[in-house]
Amino acid sequence: MTPLSSHTIGPFFPAAFCREGDNDLTRITPDAPPSRRGIPIRLHGRVLREGGLPCVNAILEAWQADAAGRFRHPADPDWQQADPDFLGWGRARTDAEGRYEFHTLLPGGFLDRAPHLDLLVMASGLMQPVATTLFFPQFAEANAADPVLALVPPPRRRHLLAAPDNAGGYRFDILLRGSAEEETPFFES
Amino acid sequence: MLLGNTQGEDPMPEDALPARFGPLPLGIAPIVPTPGYPGTFTHTPSQPLIRRPPGRTEVTGPLALHHKLPCGEANLAEPTPGRPALGQLIHIAGQVLDEDGRPIPDAVVELWQANAAGRYAHANDTRSAPLDPHFIGNGRVRTDAEGRYGFFTIRPGAYPVPGEAVWWRPPHVHFSVLGPATLSRLVTQMFFPGDPLNPLDHILMAVPGAAARERLIARALPPAEIGSGWLGYRHDIVLRGRRATPTLP
Ligand SMILES: [Fe+3]
Repeated sequence: MTPLSSHTIGPFFPAAFCREGDNDLTRITPDAPPSRRGIPIRLHGRVLREGGLPCVNAILEAWQADAAGRFRHPADPDWQQADPDFLGWGRARTDAEGRYEFHTLLPGGFLDRAPHLDLLVMASGLMQPVATTLFFPQFAEANAADPVLALVPPPRRRHLLAAPDNAGGYRFDILLRGSAEEETPFFES
Repeated sequence: MLLGNTQGEDPMPEDALPARFGPLPLGIAPIVPTPGYPGTFTHTPSQPLIRRPPGRTEVTGPLALHHKLPCGEANLAEPTPGRPALGQLIHIAGQVLDEDGRPIPDAVVELWQANAAGRYAHANDTRSAPLDPHFIGNGRVRTDAEGRYGFFTIRPGAYPVPGEAVWWRPPHVHFSVLGPATLSRLVTQMFFPGDPLNPLDHILMAVPGAAARERLIARALPPAEIGSGWLGYRHDIVLRGRRATPTLP
């Protein structure tokens, strides 16, 4: 079989840059104890390309507020109250079926924002990383008032809601390219 | 000083700095989907990206990420003393700067590249070019207080992209920079000055602005300045803004 040129273009993101534990947002170092200030959740799903085929070896990076809705960064006025044991950042790689997973705490909302998590996806075939934001369905009222979700055309908003699984976690699939009705909404980054 | 003006890249006086984290000026973002790169036709979103005002989530990011992502592998050329990698020894160094030209300390800079034969030490690179047992081809460092980074490595080889019309990737080095905010995240490539394959590269040429492309090409340092140990290249990386280093995969 002749390889698709995407395979030979790469990018060949090194395995060493995505180690076990990098997908755990609750630890500030690989061997730090996880933060317990919040509800631990497993967030998982698949990255798919046109036709619903798996996107293999995609890199995902997640960023979110702590369980109280604070970022440990000076651009957040309340950063000194942020959970010092919570990193809020993680990196994951998709497997042969396009699956990824993160371990984190349910984020808190802040100001007019509903609880959410920013995701960046990099993959062979993407000239630039794409950015999306996922929301949680149990915060229906906050979601309805969220100014970012409001920018998404109403029929597409459901694609930004993670689906509770039957194990206390959430599933969030990302379709990089599809019909206007099915494609995941992405934001300028 | 005026900046370059080609294909929509507007000249702008030095003092007219954009709003922090404003949208990228024209000429910087690569044209997608990209001819010659079939994957971009199946992976690039078909719908326009939704513009949102930068919020707290986007203007923040993990500080001290080097605690999570261990840094320090800056010598790719001789990872084990006495066992140098094959190829032309080079040193790549520069500064990571923000949109206002200020150095960014404590940025995490990741580099990966092919070996001198144009082969990646990666399970997905199945080309027949030889692997070099002494060259793994990736490293991660942290910028110092002046935003400086540096790597000793070897000049990567070009590699072919098979397809209906074969083309070659010029020698290039991949960079991933994790800056102080989600919005300053950058993944890009660095090219070598004067390589005849540069103007034929579908990926480099997808960046429409000539001045923006120029910012992807390292500057060769005069050999007299650096001595006989290695060839030196200077490559500054600008995260966002009017003079941003373009994103490439
Ligand atoms: Fe490459």
